[in-house]
Amino acid sequence: MDTTEISNLSLTFLIVFVIIPVSLSYWFSLGLSKSIVWSSFRGVVQLFLIGYVLTFLFSIPDWQGIALWVTVMVLVATINASKRGGNIPKVRMVVFLIIAIIEVSVLALWLGFGYITFTADKVIPISGMVIGNSMIAIGLALERLQSQFKEERGRILAALSLGATPKQSSLMIVRKSLKAAMIPNIDGLKTIGLVQLPGMMTGLILGGVSPLDAVKYQIVISLSIFVSVAICAMLVTMVLYKTFFNDKMQLKVIDK
Amino acid sequence: METNSILRCENGSTRILKQLCFSIPENRITTIIGPSGAGKSSLIMLLNRLENLDNGTIYYKGNNINDYPVTELRREIGMVFQSAYLFDGTVEDNLKYGPSLQNKWDSKNADKLLDLVDLPSSYKLRAVTTLSGGEQQRVALARTLANKPNVLLLDEATSALDVNTTKIIEQLLERIQQEDDITMVMVTHNLAQSMRIGDFSLYLQEGKLIESGVTKELLDNPSTKELKNFLNIKKA
Repeated sequence: MDTTEISNLSLTFLIVFVIIPVSLSYWFSLGLSKSIVWSSFRGVVQLFLIGYVLTFLFSIPDWQGIALWVTVMVLVATINASKRGGNIPKVRMVVFLIIAIIEVSVLALWLGFGYITFTADKVIPISGMVIGNSMIAIGLALERLQSQFKEERGRILAALSLGATPKQSSLMIVRKSLKAAMIPNIDGLKTIGLVQLPGMMTGLILGGVSPLDAVKYQIVISLSIFVSVAICAMLVTMVLYKTFFNDKMQLKVIDK
Repeated sequence: METNSILRCENGSTRILKQLCFSIPENRITTIIGPSGAGKSSLIMLLNRLENLDNGTIYYKGNNINDYPVTELRREIGMVFQSAYLFDGTVEDNLKYGPSLQNKWDSKNADKLLDLVDLPSSYKLRAVTTLSGGEQQRVALARTLANKPNVLLLDEATSALDVNTTKIIEQLLERIQQEDDITMVMVTHNLAQSMRIGDFSLYLQEGKLIESGVTKELLDNPSTKELKNFLNIKKA
């Protein structure tokens, strides 16, 4: 595999590119200079730290590295996605279980079909993609679910008063929440390769893998992510809409 | 005025309402009046179990309302809200919502329901977003009537409408009540409206039922100082 090594010096020169938006922000009084500098600095430091962490994880026995880092990823994703659920009861536990189940299932599928081997350098990056995308989808679904139950309270009460069950009265909200969660992935999958080459495929091609082999990997990844996102969004909305009602089929008041 | 009661509350209380004892007469229009924050809307939502009593019992046709399956009770005791809260789609989509939940929708019903609320049958294919406020409220009324309720609860159902539209809806309600023998319970802050269409009235203040009786007698000769004060404030 031919790889081009990026020297520390050439990496430092990238700072020049950051100076451009900072200068433009200053020039047009946009007030974004601080955010651009801070997020760029934070991103660089985080990536270097992750580089060291991954180097360590790849140096210990595979099962230990995988167990340790996948657990960390699932926990961080759970905390991050659950925040969008505000005061929804049991949100953290439900989100944790859904992400954990999806991760284990996808991993079992990949290993079962022989797409990857059970080594830390394969399992950890690919798990990160699945868990990260699931986290985003669950966060979007929860945010929409919560805001819709607030905005559409009147319509839900109207539906209940017409004899609808909580499930029937929430159908429109569940649909909207699912759409909000899945649209980024649906649009991404529809235009994959046409608008931009996916990051992993680009990485493989830059690393010297033939485009056709890179495409095969990308298909496995993209479809796995799409299916995971769809299942996560469906599970989280179908489980958690119930928490907005009590056992007497009455709508509860949940403050954000 | 001799009547049987269709709904009766005994010693009912919630976080907002205290020691409620009242009866709703069958096939009449009962209005619930009182100042803002009196608990009028909370009370009406108890009657179809959109909210629950903490203590006490409400009886519907002599039976505890908690003994009815809640969806069945809500079909029998329908409700129209201050806003129409129409669902996305056409007028017909809204009219069929309740009956479709039981697979009982017949598309011929759309014409009858629209006729009942004085809207032309051509309206059934119109998107609800194209309707005026008054038309939306009529569709909301027709949507509730599609379930053929015995009792119709109206929570400030005309308060967002202009004077003319309010009077048209009032006439509609009176006609429907007389033709179909429906019991109506209407929350209103409008005393003139209560006088125009109410047979019986309940006066509520700070979560307590202060006085009740035949509307005209109650509003012409109040016996409590609370209601007298309320009427004086309204007149002033």
